[in-house]
Amino acid sequence: MRLSDLKEFESDTRPDWCPGCGDFGVLAALKDALVKSGKKPHEVAVVSGIGCSSNLPGYIRTYGFHGLHGRPVPVAVGIKNANPSLTVIATAGDGDEYGIGFNHVVHAARRNDDIKLIVMNNEIYGLTTGQLSPTSKLGQKTKTSPDGSIIYPLQPLPTILGAGGTFIARTFSGDPKHMSWVIQEAIKHRGFALIDAISPCVTWYNIYDEVKKLFYRIEDRGYKITDQQAAFNAMNDPQGIPTGIFYRTEEKQSFQEKLAEINGGKAPAESVQTLDRNVALQLIQEFA
Amino acid sequence: MENDETKGAEVTIRLGAAAGDGIQSAGEMMMKVLARSGLYISTYNGNQSLIRGGHVWFHIHAGTRKVYSLGYGIDFLVPLTQLAFDQHFESVNTGGAVIYDPSIVKPHDLQQGVRGIPVPLGEIALKYDKRPIMKNTVALGALTSNLGVKFEVLADAITDQFGRKNPGVAESNIKAAREGYDLVKNLGAQSFELKYDYSCTKPVLTADYAFALGAVNAGCRFYAAYPMSPASPIVHWMASHAKQLGLTVFLGEDEISVINATIGASYAGARAMCGTSGGGFALMQEAVGEAAMTETPVVVVDVMRAGPSTGLPTKTSQGDLNMMLGISQDDFPRIILAPRDSADSFYTAGRAFNLAERYQVPAIILLDFAIGDGGYSTVEGLDPSFTVDRGKVVSVPSPGAVSGGWFRRFALTDDNISPRSFPGTPDLMFVAKTDEHDEWGHDLSDVNSGLKEFLPLRVKMHEKRMKKLESIKKELRLPEIFGPTGADITIVTWGSSANPAREAVQRLRMQGVSVNSLEFTDLYPLNESEIKRILQVPGKKVALEANYTGQFETLLKRETGIIMDAHIRKYDGEPIYPSEVEKGVLSLRKEVHAVV
Ligand SMILES: Cc1ncc(C[n+]2csc(CCOP(=O)(O)OP(=O)(O)O)c2C)c(N)n1
Ligand code: SF4
Ligand SMILES: [Mg+2]
Repeated sequence: MRLSDLKEFESDTRPDWCPGCGDFGVLAALKDALVKSGKKPHEVAVVSGIGCSSNLPGYIRTYGFHGLHGRPVPVAVGIKNANPSLTVIATAGDGDEYGIGFNHVVHAARRNDDIKLIVMNNEIYGLTTGQLSPTSKLGQKTKTSPDGSIIYPLQPLPTILGAGGTFIARTFSGDPKHMSWVIQEAIKHRGFALIDAISPCVTWYNIYDEVKKLFYRIEDRGYKITDQQAAFNAMNDPQGIPTGIFYRTEEKQSFQEKLAEINGGKAPAESVQTLDRNVALQLIQEFA
Repeated sequence: MENDETKGAEVTIRLGAAAGDGIQSAGEMMMKVLARSGLYISTYNGNQSLIRGGHVWFHIHAGTRKVYSLGYGIDFLVPLTQLAFDQHFESVNTGGAVIYDPSIVKPHDLQQGVRGIPVPLGEIALKYDKRPIMKNTVALGALTSNLGVKFEVLADAITDQFGRKNPGVAESNIKAAREGYDLVKNLGAQSFELKYDYSCTKPVLTADYAFALGAVNAGCRFYAAYPMSPASPIVHWMASHAKQLGLTVFLGEDEISVINATIGASYAGARAMCGTSGGGFALMQEAVGEAAMTETPVVVVDVMRAGPSTGLPTKTSQGDLNMMLGISQDDFPRIILAPRDSADSFYTAGRAFNLAERYQVPAIILLDFAIGDGGYSTVEGLDPSFTVDRGKVVSVPSPGAVSGGWFRRFALTDDNISPRSFPGTPDLMFVAKTDEHDEWGHDLSDVNSGLKEFLPLRVKMHEKRMKKLESIKKELRLPEIFGPTGADITIVTWGSSANPAREAVQRLRMQGVSVNSLEFTDLYPLNESEIKRILQVPGKKVALEANYTGQFETLLKRETGIIMDAHIRKYDGEPIYPSEVEKGVLSLRKEVHAVV
């Protein structure tokens, strides 16, 4: 990698994250992955929601859309549908993607939209000062669960695998090389990629030491991607925190490939023009 | 049945049955028969929110001159069920007729001057098909015969309906229709004949279809929706033309995804649109604010139905204007347009895209069930000539346009419109921000928020967005007068309420009443000074709209201070009938005279 390439992705804006926040690692890994994937800043759109993590687009010099809480996935899908030549990456928090916006994740997975979703999972609502998130643990003490959470956490990876996800991975911001590799693989992937990026919140719920102790790379233990059942098994480890690419298939066409079969590959962003007059008149005449 | 010099000859027809009897397709066939006989058409679909059973009806108003609404009463009633007869027989005009199957319908209490024409519809139908659904076609045969329209026109319409997929079905339908046709002919029961011109091919379409067509003609190639009556015809049309025209049709998982995908597509450079009805729009509201804040143009169509909540899914209303005026949190600019009919709808689509893109704002279109779903009307000479105007789109950086690596996407300018770039363009990267931001798209919401040196910037950015309204209002269409200028009474309408008012104005004027109507189509932002001038009429002003609180009347008052003298408001879900407008105007006239 040439440093000059990395520089192209540098923003003039310093992240406003707390010192030590896991999101710094995700930002660095994303830049690294984009450079290593040979992308130019203008070819990439980074789309986020609202949360500490969702501030990311301002900190990387690409096209960006800092949208509404929970809605980066549909915005990203719209961008990709309109201009399939773009690399479209959605980046947001666990509240954003596994809570308010989870419906969109399920459907993007089943459609196999060619967008890459990086969820900065800190098991807490950071920006709103520390409330229970969908991935908070049973018994976890937060501002909204002073006596410990009484809700079972969501298991996003098996859920999305079950929903038809074609690329499902977990990685850890404390393992930047691995994270960059996972993102690069996701960019190469044909369709939707879910990357659960463990990104500890040092201010409201610091799981840094715990994750460091418990995480391991499944690849290091000889894991080979095969079928969904193997992936389910690999994800499920009550004793440790497995990271890696659990499941991947390049067999399914992406939604955008399927769309192109209908619209003839005419990208809406490149077809803004009036109808041929005769075609328009004939369409009107269909009603006669 | 009316025949006079000013209006020409006209006829009203109502077919009634249970859902699942195929009454809508029968109605559409009959509508085609009359349109292909050279008549002008206006229809209404008395639909119910069910698939089978209940009671549904289809109303056709046709005339040798332009017709606008449902006309007056019913000249021909074709009830295929007793319920259909019971619901509508009282509206049959003197001189009119009821065509019915005596084995199904008991035509009790027929008024004097209304003829009953018994035709064994079911019996004839069963000769050709085991399913009695074909009795529709027999009825159409009888009706066509009654109107003195030549049979071939009906045969053609039947072939169009069934033929392509299933020639056998078309053939047996034509035979059944023929028998109904001949039977009435042999009875000598033909009631009257209008002047028909069989060479005519004027298209008949609903405002939904017209809007879809107009949008695609204006360069829209991205349409997103989640199914909801009465907006679904738009997505049906788009999907059925996607291959031919190269359209991207996205059926999202909910309306929230629908509008966010539309905003994403527009941000990426498409002309993008989405459509829904009130309930779906309610879910979209937060994102309309997102479009305004990120200055991403979008066109959103709301085909209104009666509410609140799920309300009456297949019934009409003009009750969503207040929602559009108050979409989501705080102030942001928006454009609200309400076309009157299909032709208007076609042209409004193009205007909406050019306005939305030039001003980088959301444009909201209000259609309603009355004109949107079953409301077909004749369009003549639709002109597809259109110039796409995308406003300030740039593809190369100009001096000062880039600093710190970012494009000055939200630049403060003299006309409050900033240059826009599309992803994929080198060197013009920016972040579209739903947070308050500076000219380069940096947050003003975090480390700089509330700092005294940044407060003026927040004010400027907010004002820049809001001030676009000042320019937009000068470009919007002013209300148009129907009828002569200067009248004792002016009916003030918006959107589809123009149509019943027109027919009422025509009839009232024949009775010697001095009345006209003033039709608003562009509802927001209102050009107060111009509108004040236009509404400085000496006569009385009566507002006509289909909602409880008088939403447009209130808007007019709020924006211009103008107070109506009276209003006619309807909110039972049924369309506004010209006769209701007439009654309202006449009672106001009495008042006017009583005061004098
Ligand atoms: C519709 C809506 N509801 C609530 C909020 C308030 N809100 C902002 S960020 C956030 C949660 C953030 O948590 P997460 O997505 O996990 O991001 P983190 O800050 O932890 O990175 C919430 C609830 C909002 N902005 N919009
Ligand atoms: S509050 Fe937590 S998530 Fe937010 S910036 Fe600070 S450490 Fe990161
Ligand atoms: Mg979080």
